[in-house]
Amino acid sequence: MKAFTALTATELRLLLRDPASLFFMIAFPLMLLVLKRGDGDAVPGYLAMIVAIGGMGALPGIVASYRERKVLKRLATTPISPVLLLGAQLVAQVAAGLAGSVLLVATAIAAFGAQAPGNVPVLAAAFLLCSVMACSLGFVIAAVVRNTRGASLIGMLVMFPMIFLSGAAVPRKALPDALRRIGDFLPLTPGVDALRVAWSGTAAVFPLLILAGIIVVATAVAATLFRWE
Amino acid sequence: MEAIEVTDLRKTYGDTRAVDGVTFTVRAGETFGIVGHNGAGKTTTVECLIGLRRPDAGAVRVLGEDPARRRRALAQRIGAQLQESSLPERIKVAEALRMFGSFYRDAADWRQLMERWGLQPLARKAFGDLSGGQKQRLMLALALVGAPEVVVLDELTTGLDPIARRETWRLVNDLKMTGTTVVLVSHYFDETEALCDRVAVLARGRVRAMGTPGDIVAQTGTASLEEAYFALEGADR
Ligand SMILES: Nc1ncnc2c1ncn2[C@@H]1O[C@H](COP(=O)(O)OP(=O)(O)OP(=O)(O)O)[C@@H](O)[C@H]1O
Ligand SMILES: [Mg+2]
Repeated sequence: MKAFTALTATELRLLLRDPASLFFMIAFPLMLLVLKRGDGDAVPGYLAMIVAIGGMGALPGIVASYRERKVLKRLATTPISPVLLLGAQLVAQVAAGLAGSVLLVATAIAAFGAQAPGNVPVLAAAFLLCSVMACSLGFVIAAVVRNTRGASLIGMLVMFPMIFLSGAAVPRKALPDALRRIGDFLPLTPGVDALRVAWSGTAAVFPLLILAGIIVVATAVAATLFRWE
Repeated sequence: MEAIEVTDLRKTYGDTRAVDGVTFTVRAGETFGIVGHNGAGKTTTVECLIGLRRPDAGAVRVLGEDPARRRRALAQRIGAQLQESSLPERIKVAEALRMFGSFYRDAADWRQLMERWGLQPLARKAFGDLSGGQKQRLMLALALVGAPEVVVLDELTTGLDPIARRETWRLVNDLKMTGTTVVLVSHYFDETEALCDRVAVLARGRVRAMGTPGDIVAQTGTASLEEAYFALEGADR
């Protein structure tokens, strides 16, 4: 536990030391909010966007570089399992996403008078599931694509269309029919739905179950395909 | 007591016989050198000692246990500096030492270690900003942070400047004084002669000669370990 805490604290510091993650997970969503003149309806989608940027945009490259640069191998010579480093990376991504999200929500409420979230416990659960789901997809990418550049690139290529088609960055109502239908099959869509419903104050169990299902499947796939070297 | 026993170790990659029947023992407290040409099987051999590779055949015992099965338990007692490995680019020197220290039940004092290895001035520097030799020195200190009984050093001083090399020798000598068992892979004969109680010369996955540096010199009728090595290699070609 002492080791896991130390690993997680380090991973979180490393994330916050990276200007790109800092910008995309904290400053960028705030900029969007300002551009939208504090439109409160957009906030739940932006939360999904933040965790997608971290879990799919950043995580695959980080994990692939740990493998390629033999950080995982060095860790395997210690009493710690390299799996713990991946766990620490997951917790750090969730925590960094949470920091960005809390800042965004606070700004929306304090500066733009947005309506406060209706059901905070369910919102928290939706956020956690959505964030872990995004990371689990990131791990699948890091498992399938071997080198660092490739994993980063594929991560971006998966993440960008997804945040636009799932309703995270722009409302799906604004999309043409064909594109909206693609969104029905994207794993981030139930994430956006879950966050939106919880924000408005009701509790829908179905999107949460779908998220949990995706997490289980993606983790199993990643664990099967992951190569440590 | 034997700290390490390797018996007829074999490891094949495709049709490359990387290690082809290697046998040696290292007594507790001994410093044991492994020298040999590129691709001789040195790294493969020492990575079997720390459980990173699984032998195809043969027996390996480190501190009485099989590293392939008991890697995690043994890792509490073995420190390793790999030939190739690194840390996250943005991790700082002090941060890395403290974090690795937290992995062990009985860790050494990482601040003291940082001091001893001359890393204090670099404490707040990121791994990615260190020079090659500085990285090497940090990886060495990390190999010792768990206060290990056995230390495996793969290419101890490759990439270090001459002064840093001598300094490293001094620190390895200190390690010997504390009774630590050391396995040292090296391409430098002066280093091997200065530090090692016994040496194995590996060639094409086999032990070509083994003994104290003096023994090997005497066996080959040469004047130094370096000449002995050339005599052995020359005889094979
Ligand atoms: N993972 C691997 N896959 C395929 N071949 C390998 C692998 N590891 C080592 N080999 C081969 O096994 C042989 C021994 O390699 P090893 O790394 O043990 O040599 P070495 O003595 O450490 O050499 P060097 O002095 O260059 O570090 C080489 O021919 C190498 O190409
Ligand atoms: Mg080697």
